[in-house]
Amino acid sequence: MDNEIESLVTLQDIDLIIEEANEVEKLGFAITGGSELAKARAELASRIKKPILFRYERLRAKLKRAIVPVKNDICLGCFLRQPTSIGAKGREESELFTCENCGRILYWLD
Amino acid sequence: MISKELAQLFNNNLFISNLKATNKEEVLGELLDLFIKEKIVRNRQIVLEMLHQRETLGSTGIGKGVAIPHGRTTAALNVVIAFGKSEKGIDFNAIDKQPVHLFFMIIAPPNDEENKYLPALGSLVTIIKSEKNRERLLKVTNYSELLSIISGE
Repeated sequence: MDNEIESLVTLQDIDLIIEEANEVEKLGFAITGGSELAKARAELASRIKKPILFRYERLRAKLKRAIVPVKNDICLGCFLRQPTSIGAKGREESELFTCENCGRILYWLD
Repeated sequence: MISKELAQLFNNNLFISNLKATNKEEVLGELLDLFIKEKIVRNRQIVLEMLHQRETLGSTGIGKGVAIPHGRTTAALNVVIAFGKSEKGIDFNAIDKQPVHLFFMIIAPPNDEENKYLPALGSLVTIIKSEKNRERLLKVTNYSELLSIISGE
């Protein structure tokens, strides 16, 4: 992953896979690599700066989804419009931004 | 999920009747590129990584020549399904070790308030369990034929 936000998105994507593994298994998919996936998650988490990882884990525990997409400057976690001024920087993925209302980390989709 | 609802998650431009891919990596990339081209997802690397991690959990090759690579990603907005068919078949490390001919790629957002993702996955599994449906899918040459099967017509 090139930067912090991409690493966090991947971390959340892995968490989403783990979260729904049981339900997916019930549909008939073979779930054989739980420990390998947990290892991959731990390895990725170890590469994320501790304060950022802590923020992610805290948000995840509190709000279920720590990072949410932003579309047309709307946070898709709480649907509050974000200031246009942060959108340009957010799209460059060079800095982490959080929603002023819900506190989730924002990931621009457009 | 009723068949009509499932059919609405497919897209005319996310359909390949003759995949060029010859291996697992290539087929994931070829199907994902349809989503990129249609601007359904923006960041190819992130979504490909998610698909790889999902395969780490266990192959989505569910046997009988079918694979359903799938997952939620923060880089997607809606539940969307792509279809691809390989005449030759591709080694996808399927549970029955047989080559895979029929691919359904499902990409879903992290928040799915309408609860479409898992029901869609379940409905697809039900459809492909039918030998008759699999046989029909193997003969598909265009999008409307695919939709007829998915819609249960």
